[in-house]
Amino acid sequence: MKRAYRHISKEMQMAAACGVAICLSVPTGASAAGAKAGVVIENTAVASYTAGAITSTIQSNTVKVRVDELLEVTLAGLTSSATASSGSEAVLAYSLVNTGNGPEAFLLSADPATVGNDFDTQIKSIAIDSNDNGTYDPGVDQLLASGASTPSVEPDGTLKVFVVVAIPADAADTKTSQVTLRAEAVTGSGAPGTSFPGQGEGGGDAVVGQSGARAVALDSLVVRAASVALTKSASVINLFGNGQPIPGAIITYRIDAAVSGSGTVQDLFVSDNFPAGTTYQAGSLALDGNALSDASDADGGSASANGITVQLGTSAGGISRSITFKVKIN
Amino acid sequence: MSIRLSLRTALLVGAVTLAANLQAQNAAPLQLHSDVKVDKIVMADGQTKHVLSDPEVVVPGDRLLFRTQYRNTGGQEVTDFVVTNPLPNGVALDPAAKAPAQVSIDGGVSWGGLESLKVVDTATGSQRPAQVGDVTHVRWVLRSVKPGETGEVSFNAIVR
Repeated sequence: MKRAYRHISKEMQMAAACGVAICLSVPTGASAAGAKAGVVIENTAVASYTAGAITSTIQSNTVKVRVDELLEVTLAGLTSSATASSGSEAVLAYSLVNTGNGPEAFLLSADPATVGNDFDTQIKSIAIDSNDNGTYDPGVDQLLASGASTPSVEPDGTLKVFVVVAIPADAADTKTSQVTLRAEAVTGSGAPGTSFPGQGEGGGDAVVGQSGARAVALDSLVVRAASVALTKSASVINLFGNGQPIPGAIITYRIDAAVSGSGTVQDLFVSDNFPAGTTYQAGSLALDGNALSDASDADGGSASANGITVQLGTSAGGISRSITFKVKIN
Repeated sequence: MSIRLSLRTALLVGAVTLAANLQAQNAAPLQLHSDVKVDKIVMADGQTKHVLSDPEVVVPGDRLLFRTQYRNTGGQEVTDFVVTNPLPNGVALDPAAKAPAQVSIDGGVSWGGLESLKVVDTATGSQRPAQVGDVTHVRWVLRSVKPGETGEVSFNAIVR
């Protein structure tokens, strides 16, 4: 109580000194090699002098000042444009630095509804990089329960934070969303200079620094989706050299697979069954004009008794492939 | 008898020596008293001014004013009066304030004005001008302090 009273009276003195004008008496921040909270600064002066023929040395009393805890934090977004496909999850990384001078834990909260978003993600979890490898490892990195604080972070220490978000299934290609992460010191936050008597490391006070003992950072993600359009066409030529589909005529089927969007499709393959009453013409399968063997082998194309299959694999938006094969009308 | 007499003489000599020591201590003509204040710069009516207060709450970046008062309480003028103040751990000289005329960057071995001192950069091996963060000691040299004379020396520091 006495301490609290002294504190209040001091604030009142400061208020009187500042009047209604701006008060500049705000802590200016700890440096990297700063004095840690709880450290006692001790000062003693020594003097020597000559009186008559005698030279003497004397010491002053020792004055002591305990360094109080400065509450400061910075937060930075590490993910500028994570790419994710709709309906999936994305991991956003942030870096928290305890720029104060005492060990401090921080409360974290993630907000998906950032102004300007094309769509909002759903926050799945907040995790800290427990094994400090810079990558989110599910099951290894500690998840923070809602309202739970981080472990204590040493002065000048860095804590990497991951926010796992779900992208809505209807989020369209190239749409972006930002996720806001907020951190604040567990001991307290508020206007710079706000003091928490007796709550500092080492028994001193804890004082809010210029950051307000809170910080905000944004990460953003962009949806990368891709879709495939298949177009099939046929041309017929018979023994007479015209296009009448009579027995013995050869039908050349062409399937165009066009991938669109800014994303990538995985494991794309195209298959087509032979129409009834036709016979596949062996060795006629081709991709972009290059022949593919009928056997199921490394070239990705194969023909069976029923139809053809061509593996196109991972295909980015903008790619267009053309598959052709021939059948004879029985 | 002669033995007893010499014993008494010895006792007498001892008492005289003790008295002389006491007198020398009592006569230590100079007294030092140190204190420390927090130096807040506040702006009022468009002007900045320094407000000193007791250091109840001190955090990195705060300005401290370390003061040492001296007083010659003896009846004799003292000469070659040198007050030396090792810089406490956790503080550096305030770069915004005037440094004491004599500082040391090598633990009090050599002295000079801050602007005249050079530091060898351990990384490059080249010399650079000393900065306030390099200062290890400050001192003040007075030619004499007359009986009854008082004064104060001080330096401004910043909590690292």
